[in-house]
Amino acid sequence: MRSGSPVYRRGAALALLVVVLIALPSVVPAFFINFVMTQTLMLGLAAATIVFLAKYGGMVSLAQFLLFGVAGFMYGNAALEAGSRGLNLGWHPWAAVAFALAVTTAAAFLLGALASRTTGLYYLMLTLVYAVIGYFVFAQITEISGPSGITSIKRPELLAAPVSLYYTALGLSVLAYLGFRALGRTAFGLALQGMRDDPVRMASLGFNVPLHRTLAFTLGGFVAGLGGLVNVWWNGQIDPASIGIGPTLILLIIAVIGGVSYFEGAWLGAFVYVAMSTYLRDLPLIDRIGITEARFNTVIGAIVLLIMVLSPQGLAGIADRLRRRPTRPRRPAAGSADETEAAIRRAQLIDE
Amino acid sequence: MTSKRRPLPAAEPGTAGLVPVVQVRAVKVAFGGLLALRGIDLDVEQGERLAILGPNGAGKTTLFNVIAGDITPTSGTVAVKGVDCTRLPSRRRPRLGVARTYQKARTFEGLSVTDNVYLALAGHYRRQRVPWRSAVDRRLRDEAGRVVASVWLGDHRDTPAGALAHGQKRQLELGMAIATDPDVLMLDEPASGLSRGEREHLVELLDALAESVTVLLIEHDMDVAFRVARRVVVMADGEIVAAGAPEQVRADPKVHEIYLGSEGRS
Ligand SMILES: Nc1ncnc2c1ncn2[C@@H]1O[C@H](COP(=O)(O)OP(=O)(O)O)[C@@H](O)[C@H]1O
Ligand SMILES: [Mg+2]
Repeated sequence: MRSGSPVYRRGAALALLVVVLIALPSVVPAFFINFVMTQTLMLGLAAATIVFLAKYGGMVSLAQFLLFGVAGFMYGNAALEAGSRGLNLGWHPWAAVAFALAVTTAAAFLLGALASRTTGLYYLMLTLVYAVIGYFVFAQITEISGPSGITSIKRPELLAAPVSLYYTALGLSVLAYLGFRALGRTAFGLALQGMRDDPVRMASLGFNVPLHRTLAFTLGGFVAGLGGLVNVWWNGQIDPASIGIGPTLILLIIAVIGGVSYFEGAWLGAFVYVAMSTYLRDLPLIDRIGITEARFNTVIGAIVLLIMVLSPQGLAGIADRLRRRPTRPRRPAAGSADETEAAIRRAQLIDE
Repeated sequence: MTSKRRPLPAAEPGTAGLVPVVQVRAVKVAFGGLLALRGIDLDVEQGERLAILGPNGAGKTTLFNVIAGDITPTSGTVAVKGVDCTRLPSRRRPRLGVARTYQKARTFEGLSVTDNVYLALAGHYRRQRVPWRSAVDRRLRDEAGRVVASVWLGDHRDTPAGALAHGQKRQLELGMAIATDPDVLMLDEPASGLSRGEREHLVELLDALAESVTVLLIEHDMDVAFRVARRVVVMADGEIVAAGAPEQVRADPKVHEIYLGSEGRS
């Protein structure tokens, strides 16, 4: 086994962070819990599935926000009793949860199977096509949504906002983080990493590469669906625009600024994004210097650019570098065509 | 696709020793207009140590790819232990006891040396998709550790394969291939790029394999090839041009012509 101390330190840091996060609602205003922390956690959950697929599988997926949305739409359709749109099945909220997760997982399995023989840029493009098609499906099929979406969606009574919902998001995030990390050390997770490095070799060792990729994508979809449920409970509504290309790209940006080869980066990136979009517009004098609502995205873009220039490994990469500066191995020169893959590989070398 | 299929003997218990372990029949492989293999026939008996020689581009690696399932031949058939596996995907071949190494070492760069070997074992013991760690995994991991030590990488168990030197990668590949106790071991130029000492290691390791293991060896280094092999096949331009015992082949004027000729040209 590896030397115990870094693992131990990491575990201790995580435990400390969780304790702080559990205590947070009694220290900070409800607004912060509800608008910043809960949103951070659910977006982090979805972004973590991008990290999972990219870091272990070398698959950069743009369909994770679609699956996040599928879970939300399905929950809305099943749980709502009456309304102008949707199926209005009026099921018990927990039955609706099971239904939403089942549909999301099945959709992920199908989409994952279709994409399982592609890699690299083609994978990115194919999953982008999924996202576009998904948007139009929900925008145009009025039986399940229609352009203005589904409103007044109730959450299970147990999960009242802000605190219970926050704890739900926190619990799911911790489970996903630990689960993804643990999976990386199992036969399934190691095989996925092997397929990232050399799928042909994995096949000759007796592994079914397309099936493996499909299952990984299915798991990613399931976890993104959990994030999507928190989102619809938190929002009380969902419409197709909220899963369009804009939000899809924002989720990718979150994963990238956090550091696409670090699971903690997903939540770090989500926090930075949510904090920026919550507080940046309220800064005093911000409109005087010309940053109006319409230019807000430019500011976010500039900040993303800055982070990427300072650290191609994202925020978690900066933290990691500071932590291990004295013994850091020299990184091989970048510059190949598949920069992402090279970056993922590099991160893999210096991770743990 | 027109394949002249000849009937192959069925695999029956008790006939194992009688049927050649590897049977290649009239195999042709075309890459576009280029015929890389022009009709290869080859029988390899159980426990044989066979060296395949020939200049670059002769089709040796392509023949390996056909036997291992990485390439489906344009025509002809391949059988392992009497089972026709011409169209069996490569991921099914380990179950037939086939393991191989690649000419250009193919290791999993981001994974540790032990994990590389562990994956070979996980594939063999049908643990491919197990999403947890159990006592079985601990045993496989211990086994992987022993294999790693047996290919002299004991000091590099936790080193990512991508950080290994060239020769060490070849040792790791060899470890991944022998880890599962294959019945048919195919090694594509295992000695290339190795130092003299590492070559000695390699020969030692191959000598230590059980008698029953069938070894197919592509090798440029005559010294290694002739020390390991009891039979030699020489390929050129997609055909087998000479075959026999090492001394016989060494003395064959055709072989001299091929080697001297190709060296003269290049
Ligand atoms: N995947 C491929 N696509 C096209 N041509 C190939 C491919 N693999 C091998 N070849 C060609 O087939 C011939 C035989 O190659 P190979 O089997 O690698 O020879 P050897 O291993 O004996 O050096 C060469 O001319 C090579 O260029
Ligand atoms: Mg070759």
